[in-house]
Amino acid sequence: MNRNIVFIAAILLVARFNSFAQPGKIISAKHTVSITFHNKAGDADLHLDSSCTNPFGEIFIVKQFKYYISNIRLRDDDTKKTESFPGKYFLIDQADSSSKIILLSTSLKHIISIEFMLGVDSLKNVSGIQTGSLDPAKGMFWTWNTGYVMAKLEGTSAAANTPQHSFSWHVGGYKKGEATARMIYLKLPVISNQAPGIRYQQPGSGTININADILKWFNALHEIKIAGQPFCHQPGALAVSLADNYSAMFTVSYNHE
Amino acid sequence: MKLSRAILFVLLFIFCGVFFMSFNNSPGFKTTPLKFIVPKGWPQPVYDFKNNPLTKQGFELGRKLFYDGRLSRDGNFSCASCHQQFAAFATYDHNLSHGFNNSVTRRNAPGLFNLAWQKEFMWDGGINHLDAQPLAPITDTTEMAESIENVLKKLNADPQYKKMFTAAFGDATINTQRMTKALSQFLVMMVSSNSKYDRVMRGQDSFNLPQQLGYDIFRQKCITCHQPPLFTDFSYRNTGIAVEDFLQDYGRMKITRNAADSLKFKVPSLRNAQVTFPYGHDGRFYSLLDVLNHYRNGVVNGPTTDSIVKNKIPLSNFEIGQLQAFIYTLTDSSFLNDPRFAHRVLKTAHRSHLHSMSIIININKNSEKFLVPALNHWAAFLHRTLVLQTNYKHSAILISIIGICLCSAGNHQIIYANMRRQRSTVKHCAGNIFSR
Repeated sequence: MNRNIVFIAAILLVARFNSFAQPGKIISAKHTVSITFHNKAGDADLHLDSSCTNPFGEIFIVKQFKYYISNIRLRDDDTKKTESFPGKYFLIDQADSSSKIILLSTSLKHIISIEFMLGVDSLKNVSGIQTGSLDPAKGMFWTWNTGYVMAKLEGTSAAANTPQHSFSWHVGGYKKGEATARMIYLKLPVISNQAPGIRYQQPGSGTININADILKWFNALHEIKIAGQPFCHQPGALAVSLADNYSAMFTVSYNHE
Repeated sequence: MKLSRAILFVLLFIFCGVFFMSFNNSPGFKTTPLKFIVPKGWPQPVYDFKNNPLTKQGFELGRKLFYDGRLSRDGNFSCASCHQQFAAFATYDHNLSHGFNNSVTRRNAPGLFNLAWQKEFMWDGGINHLDAQPLAPITDTTEMAESIENVLKKLNADPQYKKMFTAAFGDATINTQRMTKALSQFLVMMVSSNSKYDRVMRGQDSFNLPQQLGYDIFRQKCITCHQPPLFTDFSYRNTGIAVEDFLQDYGRMKITRNAADSLKFKVPSLRNAQVTFPYGHDGRFYSLLDVLNHYRNGVVNGPTTDSIVKNKIPLSNFEIGQLQAFIYTLTDSSFLNDPRFAHRVLKTAHRSHLHSMSIIININKNSEKFLVPALNHWAAFLHRTLVLQTNYKHSAILISIIGICLCSAGNHQIIYANMRRQRSTVKHCAGNIFSR
């Protein structure tokens, strides 16, 4: 009888611990792809509180530089399959180096291109309050005219005829005619003699390095001078122009690996 | 043998218990659903209840947040400081409300009721979701002047909130979404649908002659914009108002940046209008009489003035009286006194006693600072009870001035007498009141 008790207890214990384990899931080979953003001012790395010069010769210091990355989609060259990552929103913050590395898990074997949105899609702008990186407490949300600030560039410049010579560009707007979220499409580079992109031979990890050049904010498509437009704090024409400009700030970097 | 059998049973019992618990993912988390009742004949609400199911726990948390001054920078301004229940959650007798550090708001606080039917918020409709609404007054420098981050910090530091967030949402995480969802649960429950007008429509009551005549005039001259049962069509219109020199508020244009929207503001509901005076986006109309006078004499024609009022609305003195009689039938006294929406402190103990107690406590805490708003509050009570029967503006002002004097003279004595007598009990009570 004593043996029986021990036996039953043992069975129950095993059963109990089994119930903690996840049901056997067959996981297809997954790779880790890390997307790393390198914020730049022209060719130089961007550093907060050190001065940069824009294409108009205006010298400025960046105090804050943040932007949302969402709706990422990766494309496989061999199978022509794509993989998207709905519900993943990332706030890239120059002041927080860990925010600049996005880790995703993918089953694609040969990534040839990446597509993502700079900003937050309109649906998330109209469905109340979100959590995580989209929490309004992150300071990237307009309370008086609901909507996300897609990207933010703040600093000081002698060219800004404003209190403390500050300038701040908060770019947002999701409605028709004033949308500031931009889809970015980037082809991955050819590295030496290999085929372009990231190729996984076996489960592993690969990195996509993306440069984001703040100097593009000033003249990529429209000329916007700090002296002329030191503030952007609402949706509208200026925000749209800035968005057109920043849509050109991303390039895939060849110099990392 | 007997012993081992007993051990076996005990073991079986324990394991069964453990098994049962493992099926229940979050032990102890159980909410009590709250039912949202759509009044008969009303349209379906627009608020998305699926995304934020109403529960007793969420509602109670929302109420606590609504009445908590800590949502403001200095702790003095809760949502309820500008949204007072006896004024249908508008600011009683204020054209503009008072905010942080002696500031004054730029717009007239609207009454809060029937929000579940409202798609856009603020006079200019800039806010597109009820959950997003509280963030505007919390962060506005002329209102609560606090950052969302700091509010969350303060809530996180309070074990009572940890408990209430757990009860409402299953764990102690406090974030903006949960805070605003709880507030929304409280706010959407504020349904005002039990005025005399509603009772008449349900066949339970009847209008007297002036009310009936007023209703007929209303249906001819007001109903296009103030559509029952909500008494607004939620459109934005320029009702022929001139821009105010100081505020330079062009309303809807600020949101759309479209010149065609210049000076357009949301049509306000007429429900409970008796207690939400003054009127208009900047509170420029003190009484209903002023509003009606504006429509028959004061309309200023500009490029965006609404075609309905462009040629003014012809109204005789007689008609204005009848209209006023009708509009007063929209006062929902059961809503104005509904204990579910009242500050829990006031519900649980005798009002006036607690009032004086909280004033004593506040004096102890912060000398004069709290005394003045508290007395104003008292004066407003007095004003409400004495003045609402008459409509003569000057006597109203006179009575409220006398009220303030009486209050301040009388209560100073009471307060200081009480202070001496009750000093020992104050701390105890303070603990009770503020821990809720």
